Order: sequence, then structure tokens, then C-alpha cells
Amino acid sequence: MTRTIILFGTESGNAEMVAEDLASELGGDPIAVVADMTDFDIADFTPTDAYIVVCSTHGDGELPSGARPLFDALQEAQPSLAGIRYSIFGLGDRSYETYSHGSEIIDEQLRSLGAERVGVYGRHDASDGSLPNDDALEWMRAVFIPA
Amino acid sequence: MDSSALPSDLPTIAIVGSGPSGCYTAQFLRKQWQGSEIVIFDRLDVPYGLVRYGVAPDHPGTKAVTKQFDRLFEQAGVRFAGRTLIGSAASRGDFTLDQLRAAFDIVVLATGLHADRSLSSPLAVVPGSDLPGVYGAGRLTRLINGHPDETVDGVRLGERVVIVGHGNVALDLLRLFLTAPEQLRELGIADDVVRAITAGPARQIDIVGRSQPETAKFDPAMLRELGKLAGIRFVSDAAPADLADITSSADSTSSADSTSSADSPNNAASPNNAASPNNAASPNNAASPNNAASANATRRDAVDALVAGSDPLATRTVRFRFGWVPDEITEHDQALHLTFRAAPATPDSDGSHGSDSTDSTDSTDGTDGTLSIAADAVCTAIGFTEHADAPLRRAHHESAEHLDLDRGVLGDGLYCVGWLRRGPRGTIPENRVDARMVANCIIADHTARLPHGTKPGYAVLARAADTTTLHHLIEELS
Repeated sequence: MTRTIILFGTESGNAEMVAEDLASELGGDPIAVVADMTDFDIADFTPTDAYIVVCSTHGDGELPSGARPLFDALQEAQPSLAGIRYSIFGLGDRSYETYSHGSEIIDEQLRSLGAERVGVYGRHDASDGSLPNDDALEWMRAVFIPA
Repeated sequence: MDSSALPSDLPTIAIVGSGPSGCYTAQFLRKQWQGSEIVIFDRLDVPYGLVRYGVAPDHPGTKAVTKQFDRLFEQAGVRFAGRTLIGSAASRGDFTLDQLRAAFDIVVLATGLHADRSLSSPLAVVPGSDLPGVYGAGRLTRLINGHPDETVDGVRLGERVVIVGHGNVALDLLRLFLTAPEQLRELGIADDVVRAITAGPARQIDIVGRSQPETAKFDPAMLRELGKLAGIRFVSDAAPADLADITSSADSTSSADSTSSADSPNNAASPNNAASPNNAASPNNAASPNNAASANATRRDAVDALVAGSDPLATRTVRFRFGWVPDEITEHDQALHLTFRAAPATPDSDGSHGSDSTDSTDSTDGTDGTLSIAADAVCTAIGFTEHADAPLRRAHHESAEHLDLDRGVLGDGLYCVGWLRRGPRGTIPENRVDARMVANCIIADHTARLPHGTKPGYAVLARAADTTTLHHLIEELS
């Protein structure tokens, strides 16, 4: 069965909340499954699944701590991700120069391993105190085509 | 939802304190036990603790986490019980902790640390640290955020302000003190509070800490944010990076092994040290030794960039003073006079002070290793501690038989999380990590405990017209 895996990397939990909203918009489990980058096994990347990556930014433009286990595992194993298609939505705060940079770190790594990014790069700016959820849903409806 | 969990297996859960640690704990427990009753108590009318009253009002992106928690309270079974004090003795609170433990299977204390740590401690007495005109950062941030317990009476900053501390809270205060009154009002800060903190307004702010830039506790991003303020001249008494090359390159190798910042006596003694053993042990900690070394260099670079990029002719001056320990505050000639001594050199620092500007200031950076500053107000931002009058003191509820603070266990079915568990370290996300850890321990303990879920929960408290009948009700229902 073709599924959409919504991979989130979070620091404060906001990216997880976005991932949950995107999953329920797509119809929820088992069609759309939310996965934490902290627990995701890189052996589970499957070309027949579609991926949505939701990732925040931590501190000085770093990866959120929740994204680090996946990043480190990919860094270590350097698997080929050829055939993997993903769309990405980054969370950040434009008050800082490193706005949305956390998601870019993951994006760059996925592409360097052969995965293909599909659609417009989605971003949300939290500097006005707004939640990313509505922007993320709008972005998904516009760009994301389930596998 | 795990369909094998019958409703009767679900525990009833009480969480005391609705700040980030309490709310995150509720979130993680609810994920495991959907449909279980989770009641979050708070002595105030409104939830979210330090997110509401500690985070600076000009950081709405940080405050937005409350919207996540709003959703939590919309979920079935999750309830906010505001204006309800939980105390140790019946006379103190609306309910006692014992009553809560009788009514709920699991009780989690997430009450945080409320009191400003004083400059003075029994081991290092700083005379004058409680003089009028010396304000704790917690008090000021509560005041700025409209906390119902705080009053602006007696608070007035003048033209010369000293901030003691180099953490993010100190930088929050600095930034707000430099913000124009009309902008502060736009942020929703009450008019009388705006007048108090912009009285003067502050033209000379000294921000003094014991560490060197590399080991100071602020985030570089917070420092860069200061660079956006117009009309401020920034000065630092730390030697710029190019002059400190020998020291800092020694740092980057040494901090990867034995002489990391956590090992320096200065930092080890500080209760709000971000690089504490607890945090280092956290599996999600991004601050590996290598990252720490580069973060240290980034921090120094951020100080240098702020100084280099600021307007040398601006009429308001902020002086970063690194490597100073407070000795004494005295009051005479309608001013506070602070004396600092040079912090002992550590493996991370050369302890030296670069040449400060020579123009007229109300301070002397003596060659004898002391620093004197005259000020109209002093703000201390050196961490938080348990309030002596806190309704619940952690130590009073630690059971010798069950205590396991590493897992957040205080007693049978009684837990603590967040700052109350591990001290006043870490931002909102770090307390999420802490809440996850404690929630996992609670889940493991409860799963091992039989019988599951036997206590009636909130209904019994709500039915009690007065607390004297509560114990009878609990006995009746359980």
C-alpha cells in the first residue's frame, strides 16, 4: 500500500503538531503516518512511500535536537536514497538571521544521498507568534501530491 | 489508541503547575493514555507559568508554544484547574498534596523554581545585595508580563543600570531596557511598568558576569538580536578574539577532552550552569564537546561583532564586562555602588581584561583587579531557586524508600519534572526533553504496578464542599 510518511524533527513540539495536522488532513493512519526523526529507522525509507518532512530550527540555525538522530544515522550510514521523493516544510523565526535553517540542513542531506525534493519549499515564520499549522496545510494542499 | 487498554486500566493523573514542564508532561502522558483523566492544577487563574510570565513579550515566536498547550486542554479528559493552590498543610492550600495523592493514581509536581537567586549566599556573602534598588530578574520579567503577584511600587530604573549575569534572561532584560517606551506599550506592557523601566531612561548599562565570552551562558542568536537596536554603543572589556587567539585555540582542543567548561571551578559552582552533568547526560543533548568548542568560539565572535558593528557615537552605552565576581553593594550619595573582583582565571579563560574606552564613565576598572560601578538600579539575573515559602518544597516530599531523582521519582506514584527536578537550567525545549523522560518513567512504573487505575480522580475533589469532608469522600469512592 502506498502511504505518506510525515517525518518531523522538533525542539518545542510545534513541528510534531504540524505533522499531526497534515496526517489527519490526508486521512490519518494507515494512509498517512506521523514519524518522529528521533525514532525513525533509516532502513524504513521506501520508494513507494511519499514523504513530507517538517522540521524546525534550533538556536543558532541548528537542527532541532529531535532531528539529530536521523541526521546522524544518515551521516553515518550514507545510504542511497535514490527513488525517495519528499516535500519539505521548514519552521523558523525571521527575527533571527538563521531563519528556517534547521530544515535546510536535513534537506541538503536528503538530496546529497539521492532523494528528490518535490514541490515548493514550504516555510513558516513564527516571529509574529502565529502557529505554523494553517500555513502548512495550505502549502500541502497546493504542492503535495500523495504517492 | 492502544485498544488493549481498557478504560479501567487508565490512571487518573494530577499535575501541579501549568508551566511548560507540566504541560509537556501532560502531553506525553496523554499520548500514551488517551481518554485518561489529566488535571493540571495552578494557583493562578491562567495557565502556562513561565511561558506567560518569564518569556520576554517581544519573543512571540517563543510564546507561541502556548497554542500547542491550548490544544491539549481542548482534548477530552484534560482539564485545567486554575486558582487552586496545592499545599503541604491544609491551612495553606485549597487542597493538600496528601489529598491529591489520595484522589489520583499519579501526581506530578511541576511547580518550577520561583525565587530569584540572590547575589549573596552563605558561602559568599555579598553585603548590600538586598538594598532597595536591587531587583531580581524573575520579579522584573513577571512585572513586565503582568503577573498578578507583582507590583511596580518601588521599582524604578534610572540612567545608570547594572545587570549582573550573562544568561539569556539578562539579555532579555537588557534588550527590553533599551526598547523605546512606545514599543514596550505596543507589546502589551502596562503603562506604569513601562514608565518604571524607562525612567531615566537608561543611558549607561553595565552587564557584568563571571565568565569570559566563551563560557558565558547566553545564546549567540540572542546577542545578535541586540545588534538590531539602533542608537546603542556596545563595548566589551574582554580581549577581542584576535588578541585572544592563543587562549581560544588552546580552548578548542582542550575542551574536547578533560578541561571542558563543566570542569572549571567557576562553572561547576554555578547552579544555573547550562553544561551541567545532568544536561550532558541527556541523550538529546546537541552540545557534544566539539559543538561546545565551536559554540564557545561563536559566542566570542558574536560579542566582537556586536561591538564592532555598533555606533561609536551613540549616546546610550552598553558595557559587557566579563570575568567579574560581585563583592559588595553600598548606598551613598543617592546611588548604589557595586564592587567586583576579578574572577579567578580558569582553563577556559585568560582572565584578562582588554582595554576599555577612556571616556568618562561612572566606573573604574582598577589595575588591582577590582571594578567599581555606580548605578541607579541593579538587576540580578543569576538564576532561580526554590522559594523559602513555596507551598510545596520538594525536599519535604522525598520518600527515602522511593526517591530516584534521575527518573523524577519522589515517592510511590509521586513525581517531579522540569526545573523542580533538575534545577533552573534550560529553555522550554530542554524541559520538553525532561518531560518526555519523566513521562516514560511514569508509564513504565504504572504499567508494572497492579492493580492499575484505582483512584477516583477530580470528581471527588470537585464534590468536596470543604476539604475536611474530602477524605471521607475519597474513602467512599475508592
